[in-house]
Amino acid sequence: MTKTVYSLQQQLITRTGLLMLIVFLILSAGVWDYARRAADLSYNRLLNSASLSIIERISVQDSQIDLDLPYAALSMLELAPDDKVYYEVIDHRGQHLTGYTKTPSPTNYHPNSEPIFYTATYKGEAVSWVIQSKRLIAPTANGWVVIKLGQTKNARHELSDEIFFSSLATLSGILLLTLLMVWLGVRRALQPLSIISENLKSRSPNDRRPLKTPAIREVTPLIDAINNYQQQLLNNLQTMKVFIADASHQIRSSLGGIQGQLDVTLQASDIDDIRSRLVNIRQQHKKLTRLTNQLLAHALVTHRSDSMEPQSIAVNPLVEELLTEIVRDHAHTQIDFSYTAEADNIRIPGDKVSLKEALKNLLENAVRYGPENNQIDIILRPGDANMLEIIIDDSGPGIPAHQRRQAVQRFSRLSADASGSGLGLAIVETVIQAHQGSLKLDRSPSGGLRVVIRIPGARL
Amino acid sequence: MKFLLQQLTLIIALSTFTMMANAAQTTDPSSSLIIFSATDTNAMQPIIDAFKKASPELNIHYQEFQTNELFHAIQRLPEDQLPDLVISSAMDLQIKLVNDGYAQPFTDPVTEALPGWANWRNEAFGFTYEPVVMVYNKPAFQGKPLPNTHEKLALAIRNSNDFFMNRIGTYDIRVSGVGYLFASQDEINSSISSRLKENLGRVVANLHCCSSNIIEEVESGKLVFGYNVLGSYAIKYARTAPTIGIIFPEDYTLVMSRVAFITRQARHAQNAQSFLRYLLSVQGQQVIADKSGLIALHPGVDGPFTYSRLQRDYPLRFKPIPLGPALMVYLDQLKQRRFINEWSNAILYDVFVP
Repeated sequence: MTKTVYSLQQQLITRTGLLMLIVFLILSAGVWDYARRAADLSYNRLLNSASLSIIERISVQDSQIDLDLPYAALSMLELAPDDKVYYEVIDHRGQHLTGYTKTPSPTNYHPNSEPIFYTATYKGEAVSWVIQSKRLIAPTANGWVVIKLGQTKNARHELSDEIFFSSLATLSGILLLTLLMVWLGVRRALQPLSIISENLKSRSPNDRRPLKTPAIREVTPLIDAINNYQQQLLNNLQTMKVFIADASHQIRSSLGGIQGQLDVTLQASDIDDIRSRLVNIRQQHKKLTRLTNQLLAHALVTHRSDSMEPQSIAVNPLVEELLTEIVRDHAHTQIDFSYTAEADNIRIPGDKVSLKEALKNLLENAVRYGPENNQIDIILRPGDANMLEIIIDDSGPGIPAHQRRQAVQRFSRLSADASGSGLGLAIVETVIQAHQGSLKLDRSPSGGLRVVIRIPGARL
Repeated sequence: MKFLLQQLTLIIALSTFTMMANAAQTTDPSSSLIIFSATDTNAMQPIIDAFKKASPELNIHYQEFQTNELFHAIQRLPEDQLPDLVISSAMDLQIKLVNDGYAQPFTDPVTEALPGWANWRNEAFGFTYEPVVMVYNKPAFQGKPLPNTHEKLALAIRNSNDFFMNRIGTYDIRVSGVGYLFASQDEINSSISSRLKENLGRVVANLHCCSSNIIEEVESGKLVFGYNVLGSYAIKYARTAPTIGIIFPEDYTLVMSRVAFITRQARHAQNAQSFLRYLLSVQGQQVIADKSGLIALHPGVDGPFTYSRLQRDYPLRFKPIPLGPALMVYLDQLKQRRFINEWSNAILYDVFVP
């Protein structure tokens, strides 16, 4: 499986840019509409004042309607310097009075003193018109005189273009500035990441100082986490070193002891003396074997848990098999074992070899640290939410509550007593973690140690 | 009756032209250029000659009209017989034709030298700068104060009725389009134009068709004063006739410009454009200044018949008539009738009627 790598910075900027483009388009449409309406409004006012000044000059003389077209009417329309002007006056009988002929009217026009604005094509060009009427009340001429005044749209287009493009220029300026700010902001926000990675990259492997915490609140947790992680690694490394030093010391001294014993034994002639010395050698050898086994077992479970393919394990027979081996090994002692399985056929996903090694370690610990007449109880029971609980109680001295946490840590021993390898619980912990389970130390009913293992995914 | 006569001459003129145009077309249509003009051929000929020298391959058909004739001809001719270029001194009629959609735009760097008032919509272009002046007979005004404003002229006429009686000439606006334009512009620009008209009527002003007539009569001494005549003609006459004096009224001196436009229906638009380009260029304007007797508008041209010289000699009085739709106000049917009525009532004042 390959993960596509993407740049957070690029993505942020691209998305912001897209969003802004959409905003820009919407605003542009709005500005365009506004520019058009504003230009229409201004030039319609002009048109209307011209039509008003014409309408004022309509008079009735000798039963004739007369119009003294005011110069100002058309000269004020020259404020739109490049536009053509058309007008027509229609008398109360609907006859053409003066001006251009056959000018267009709005549909369904009823004479009205209010101006009406409309656009209609005249002489092959779009023309903005105003139509307005004046009521004549005279005995000889009674009715509405209609005036139509039109102007081509060059000036309107020019004005609306000017409004549109200047607003657009401002708008794009603002948007570009915003985009720049976003770009700078994103860069600034992501800068700590590159600082941290630079920092990590340029570090020598021997450098154990924690990373410097930058004065940015959002980044502090990350640095803290890195430093914590590093500290843990360093601690583990330290304990591992101590352990290896210890282990090699023990192995060496055991080997040296055995060598010494063997030398002495070779000199001895008394058979009893030889026997007792051989017993000593055997003791030493056993200890050495156990240490070596534990080391190998730890390496094994660590390796297996790293590359574990979970299989379905039948837990009952596994525990029973283990118990059989243990009981057989300790048949000559006074240790009493009990076994309770609250359900048959419990199956969990996991690695059989590691799990067996873990349980074996726990049982051996119970035997080792317990008294002669030790009572060891093993309980298998289904917990809530598909949990399997394995409980191992002993009647040994137990571990005081304040030392339990330390006991579970790898390569640590509670006492300087050299009999333990320091690996027992560490092996268990590794295995349980590989099974996504949990390990808890408690006090058993008989005052000894209770180990509770919970492993999820149990099927009954 | 007069109207009928006008129509008749128009029809004759048109039919002869149509024949001419058809004949011209049979040669090579792409090298033709048809110009309808209401400007003396004498004035235009040097320009055309100079243009021909620059583009000898062109075949220019130049047809002269009266201003009103030209206006009606353009409106009545079928589209395929319209000329390529229309030139007229009747600025108002030209504007009306452009407003009616007879023109096509001409955008060229050469038009940038034009002042704003001489260019409407990049369609109508003024190409001369001709002040509207008063002329007087120098010997007759020996020892008399010259009326150098409209106000002073009105006063002078009122105070010396006998001196001016029958001896002052002006345009008959019923006949001359240019005369009508000048009279209407007086009305727009001056509050005393009615008074002046009344006074002109009181001394029985002689009415003429053309500036040249008025100037000639002033020169001969038959008239002592001419009101509202074309400055270009007056300056030209005054160079050879020492009796002619010219007054550029100090309150305001109207400036007329001859207007050219390319028709929308032009069949030789390319040729019309190159002619118009030449007409507005420094070279063309120099020819106008040097040879045509008209006055060049281009500020970069110098000589006695130029805008620059006039501005230098008579500062702060010129009032060009701007090209624009406002010129159509006095072409309104009712307005025209009313204005001519008023004018007639004032000028044709019959002093002898008891």
